[in-house]
Amino acid sequence: MSDVSYLLWLIPALPLAAAFITAFLGPKLLRGQSHWPCILGAAGACVVSVIVFWAVYSTPGEGKPVQVVSYYTVFHAGAVNVDFRLRADALTALMLVMVTFISTLIAIYSIGYMHGELHSEPHGERQDAHGHGHGAAVPPGPNYGYPRFFAEVALFIFSMTMLVLGDNLFILYAGWEGVGLCSYLLIGFWFTKPSAADAARKAFLITRIGDVGLFLGIMLLWVGSGFHLDYQGVFDNFPHDPFYVTLACLLILCGAAGKSAQFPLYTWLPDAMEGPTPVSALIHAATMVTAGVYLIARCTPLFVQAPVAQLVVACIGCFTALFAALIALTQNDLKRVLAYSTLSQLGYMFLGLGCAIGFGGFAADGRPQAGPEATAAVSASMFHLFTHAFFKALLFMAAGSVMHAMGNVIDMRRFGGLRKLLPTTHWTFLIGALALSGLPPFSGFWSKDEIVGAAFVAGHHSFSFGAVYYALFIAAMATAFLTAFYTFRAYFLTFWGEERIPEEAGGHAHESPAVMTVPLVILALFAAAVGAVLALPPWRLFEAFLVRTPGFVEGPQSPPEYLLMGVSAVVAAAGIGLAYWMYVARPGTAAQLAHAMPRAYLLSSHKFFVDELYDYFLVKPVVGLTQFLRIIDQYVVDGLVDIVGNIPKLLGALFWPIQNGLVQYYALLMVLGLTVFLLALVRYR
Amino acid sequence: MTPELPLHHYLVVGAILFALGTIGFLARRNLIIMFLCAEMMLQGVAVNLVAFARYRGNLEGQAFTLFIITVAACEAAIALALILMLFRNKRSLDVSLWQELREPRQEPIVDEEPLPTPEREAPNPVLTQAGLEPEHREEKSHV
Repeated sequence: MSDVSYLLWLIPALPLAAAFITAFLGPKLLRGQSHWPCILGAAGACVVSVIVFWAVYSTPGEGKPVQVVSYYTVFHAGAVNVDFRLRADALTALMLVMVTFISTLIAIYSIGYMHGELHSEPHGERQDAHGHGHGAAVPPGPNYGYPRFFAEVALFIFSMTMLVLGDNLFILYAGWEGVGLCSYLLIGFWFTKPSAADAARKAFLITRIGDVGLFLGIMLLWVGSGFHLDYQGVFDNFPHDPFYVTLACLLILCGAAGKSAQFPLYTWLPDAMEGPTPVSALIHAATMVTAGVYLIARCTPLFVQAPVAQLVVACIGCFTALFAALIALTQNDLKRVLAYSTLSQLGYMFLGLGCAIGFGGFAADGRPQAGPEATAAVSASMFHLFTHAFFKALLFMAAGSVMHAMGNVIDMRRFGGLRKLLPTTHWTFLIGALALSGLPPFSGFWSKDEIVGAAFVAGHHSFSFGAVYYALFIAAMATAFLTAFYTFRAYFLTFWGEERIPEEAGGHAHESPAVMTVPLVILALFAAAVGAVLALPPWRLFEAFLVRTPGFVEGPQSPPEYLLMGVSAVVAAAGIGLAYWMYVARPGTAAQLAHAMPRAYLLSSHKFFVDELYDYFLVKPVVGLTQFLRIIDQYVVDGLVDIVGNIPKLLGALFWPIQNGLVQYYALLMVLGLTVFLLALVRYR
Repeated sequence: MTPELPLHHYLVVGAILFALGTIGFLARRNLIIMFLCAEMMLQGVAVNLVAFARYRGNLEGQAFTLFIITVAACEAAIALALILMLFRNKRSLDVSLWQELREPRQEPIVDEEPLPTPEREAPNPVLTQAGLEPEHREEKSHV
């Protein structure tokens, strides 16, 4: 592998520099040009990432190209030795290229989308789906929102690249918290709007629950591996005891589930749609939420030793996929449909990771490895991450384009038939929707098919849990059908039927400017083609590239399952057809169906009441507990402190009469005291 | 010191001086007298120091005494100035009039037989004016 150590640090450094430049110069100097540092930083990082990618790709032979650069020691205390180490291998290179490329496109798109911030328009007054109306004031200060947005996006790109580049768990954790912080800041971008501020806080707190698990997991790995923090050291030295490996994996899963919004900790992601749409596209669809998937993929050499943990990963993933798909069926907010589909697709990725069973034994130098089947499953999951990033970013940006034209209205009941009005947005959204539905030859088909296939293979290979994996396989198929249905429900409701435009559009609804549509078209090309190019048998470029990550064993490529492919294509087509029938051919059917099954409709449209359940069973008891503790603090703790303070005061009251202010009285006491001392001295000499 | 006059004679003189000073300090209420009594106590100590120095045949005690005298002189200057200020406030030298520095919520002790006050207040000494007072320029504050 050619030497890239002199370049590697540039990838996080360029966005970081952009963040600082924008933050310090933006409000006063750059103003309307504040996007340039962010775009240039992201584009520069993208170019360097492509160079690193090429260095990994062009390494000849069958080896595992990896380069680790240690720049300096962050701190060294006792057994803790934290180096600032960056790592370039196949997995990192893939993530880097994806993250920086999509970041660049979204930064460009944001020029158009965030334009309103420049004129201090009350851009935050998005009419949200529940009709809470206009609750927002303009953020303070003229024109400050624009540079703030780009500074935070640049800071996010920095944190995300650090997360995927770091070669030890410490740097990963630092990047992990960094992206969490940027997510918080950007969800709450319109922080004067109460719902946005609440959503930001919710996201931060819920991911924090997961982060506690991740931190405990890192500690366990650190102690268990004899005080190693770098990946290779941890994987090589962690004891192969089933209990400890499973425990560590479950703790890592806890962190990953928080960040990637998996079942018990997913409720923050739909609310995160309060942020600006480019943020939803970048952070809450394409990059940050995939950090958990990356983490588990990175830790595959550990996970393959813990089949139970993998089963948990697969079950959580599959349940989230199905659950979110069921909720997405009835949502009326276009962005929320996409948010639930993101949850669902992340669930697919977790399912793929959980299907990575098969311990590949130890390499010649004692390193644990993933077996060929496990490698295929992880590759499928990462491939879905890769394609999903393109088509979901595309869908969000197209939805943002719709919002832009509709005067920030996003409720699908209030507009319709926009395909003539927004031709570019329509075509790009259609491509994204086809990719998400998994219709060949669009990209989602290839990656989703690989994950479903991995579940099938896992059912075939697993000794103890074969039946479970078969059940997961069937659930994944059902989810694929639901995905196609709800995606095209959103598509038909938005772009078909009679043309309806809400009055917020102000009568001049128009296609977005080129600065927004060009990124859409570029992403649409990728969303359409990237799957077929990278997954077409017999080359299967993606898998061939990913297996060159250290820790994966290459096996003979399994023959493509044409039957499975055919079935999933038919399932996707059936979903689309049903959506067409219900929303275009017979527009009243959906309402009749909702009437026929009121309970089911209520459950789905109210998100299975999970938020209410959490509120009732978790938030309310905690609030009650805090009230109780407040009383204890006020009366018991404070009372004790008051008593302690009063004891010396009462004792001192005994001596108050002595302090009468008479000089001669004091002198008399001094003489008496002196006499006593003298007598004592004479008597007891 | 003549050999036939032993040390304890000097010590007795010092002790008498000290005791007289102490009694005077405690018994009298006139500020100036109290101050002079304190000086007397100081001199009693000085006598002791000189006596011991002679007895032991070194000069340390003598040196101390020199310091004591010097300090006493400074002290006298400051103390008399303070006493003057106190007198200006209350028009009396009675020490028992000054009870303000006592514990809060403690009643002051009322003197049953206060010092007799002079019938006619002596005026403060005033220097006779010599020459004309120069005109003061008005200072402007820039704060």
